Amino acid sequence: MAGTGKSLLEARDLRVNYGAIAALSGFSLKLMEGEIVSVIGANGAGKSTFMNALMGMVKLAGGTILLDGCPLSTRTWKAVQGGLALVPEGRRVFAPLTVEENLRIGAFTRREADIQEDLDWVFSLFPRLKERLGQYAGTLSGGEQQMLAIARALMARPRVLLLDEPSLGLAPIVIRDIFKELRRINEQGVSILLVEQNAKQALLLSHRAYVLQTGRLLKEGNSRDLLQDPDIRAAYLGQGAGRGAA
Amino acid sequence: MSFSLSTLIQQIINGLSLGSVYALIAVGYSLVYSILLFSNFAHGGFLVVGGYACYFLLTQWGYNTAVSMAGALAASGLVAVLTERLAYKPIRERTPITLYLLIASMGVNIVIENIFVVTVGGRIRALPQSTFPTGVFELGGGVTVSASDILSLVVAAVFLVLLQLFLTRTRWGLAIRAAACDLRTAGLMGVNVTFLIALVFFVAGLLAAVGGIFLSVRYSLYPQLGSITTKAFIAAVIGGLGSLPGAVLGSLILGLAEMLTAGFISSQMRDLVVYSLLVLILLVRPAGFFGRPAGEKI
Ligand SMILES: Nc1ncnc2c1ncn2[C@@H]1O[C@H](COP(=O)(O)OP(=O)(O)OP(=O)(O)O)[C@@H](O)[C@H]1O
Ligand SMILES: [Mg+2]
Repeated sequence: MAGTGKSLLEARDLRVNYGAIAALSGFSLKLMEGEIVSVIGANGAGKSTFMNALMGMVKLAGGTILLDGCPLSTRTWKAVQGGLALVPEGRRVFAPLTVEENLRIGAFTRREADIQEDLDWVFSLFPRLKERLGQYAGTLSGGEQQMLAIARALMARPRVLLLDEPSLGLAPIVIRDIFKELRRINEQGVSILLVEQNAKQALLLSHRAYVLQTGRLLKEGNSRDLLQDPDIRAAYLGQGAGRGAA
Repeated sequence: MSFSLSTLIQQIINGLSLGSVYALIAVGYSLVYSILLFSNFAHGGFLVVGGYACYFLLTQWGYNTAVSMAGALAASGLVAVLTERLAYKPIRERTPITLYLLIASMGVNIVIENIFVVTVGGRIRALPQSTFPTGVFELGGGVTVSASDILSLVVAAVFLVLLQLFLTRTRWGLAIRAAACDLRTAGLMGVNVTFLIALVFFVAGLLAAVGGIFLSVRYSLYPQLGSITTKAFIAAVIGGLGSLPGAVLGSLILGLAEMLTAGFISSQMRDLVVYSLLVLILLVRPAGFFGRPAGEKI
């Protein structure tokens, strides 16, 4: 599913500081309805900060976030109600809760009557979760936890699914499976915003991409073009592409 | 004192009754700890608010027991919510270091205590005789059980079961359990974290009031009554801070240890045994029975 040309989520000139450190110094990004956009960047580039800023988890020092052209609330729970759901870095499943409870808390903003249908939907994407409904999330493998974290976010029925380094710490074969599911999720109408250090996987999946370097935009363009870009190849796809296995 | 079966049974009954009151209070400590990772020593103050609210509703305004109790629970819950808003939230928003919250809570406890000293005076009061049933039942062999013991056991059990049902069967209960595991991530699920924290404080305050009322019946009511929560806090630590079943188990162990010491050794040895027990258990199991081993506890 490619973009339809209607702007869904837009970040304008976002600035975030941690004390004296400027983590984001004026980063802008646009996500069209139906699109997959990725943000790639090295360690400490500000990728997680950007995601947290969108979700209202860190305080903005400047800039605006628009959803459907309207300012998005800086309160996290309102951003979720507005249609954003984040799969946080490091998965962060609720380890002492069961798989089912994790999915139900993901549906916190939903009406009880809709939950069963949404459960069926995420089971169709990740059938393995269905077999493990009663299992504690902390006992799942890393790949299963990532699936659960994605499914949990989907239970909010988001219009934009945000993912912070979904490939982190996973074996290449598991990464391929998960990225395949992400494409399927997108084909079912969910727009996706992905941040990754695993530039190759991210560029292969996304339609467009932004390269973030120390809080600033370095480059943006079609993912296919960026994959061929000599600078990007040298900086992010050379040794950098092997990071998933590191 | 020599061993006798009737003393044993008698002290077990007394211990369970005392332990059940500790449990109501200990659960409040654990509930707040599980979400915000600090020991809220203002909890004793909430208990005192509950005790006095019940006293004045009964004596000054002449309400019946049920209305007075309900009013006391609400008052204590609201004071707990207000304390969080005015004293803890500003600190939480400035620093992630929970030690400041702990210190603030000690301050709040002293403030609440002294508000009562200044406004109603430090004298010891008793809830009116007619408030709770006062009968004593003879179980044979000299073993007796008082109606108020039975009542406190039953009421504590009812409130603890209600709390358990709330946590396991409701949407907000699930949110609280998720927040206990990871507050930030719970926020990402669309849970209004500010409201959730207020809700947790309300529930903790409400349970403290129940404990406060029963302690006022068992002992009497005075501004420093809240210091008894130290024992409930110890019970929560023994059970594992942040764990509700742990808080209940720890409370029953503590209540029994106290009463058995009183029955078989001497009443003066009660605190010695209780505090030694705490040190011993912390030596063997630093995280308590059901505590999360990782992370510091303050
Ligand atoms: N809570 C914080 N307090 C202070 N500095 C922070 C905090 N979080 C992030 N930073 C700093 O902000 C910068 C951006 O961090 P961020 O986590 O956004 O990077 P990232 O691109 O997600 O990196 P990674 O790929 O390692 O996850 C870094 O220099 C980091 O040290
Ligand atoms: Mg990051």
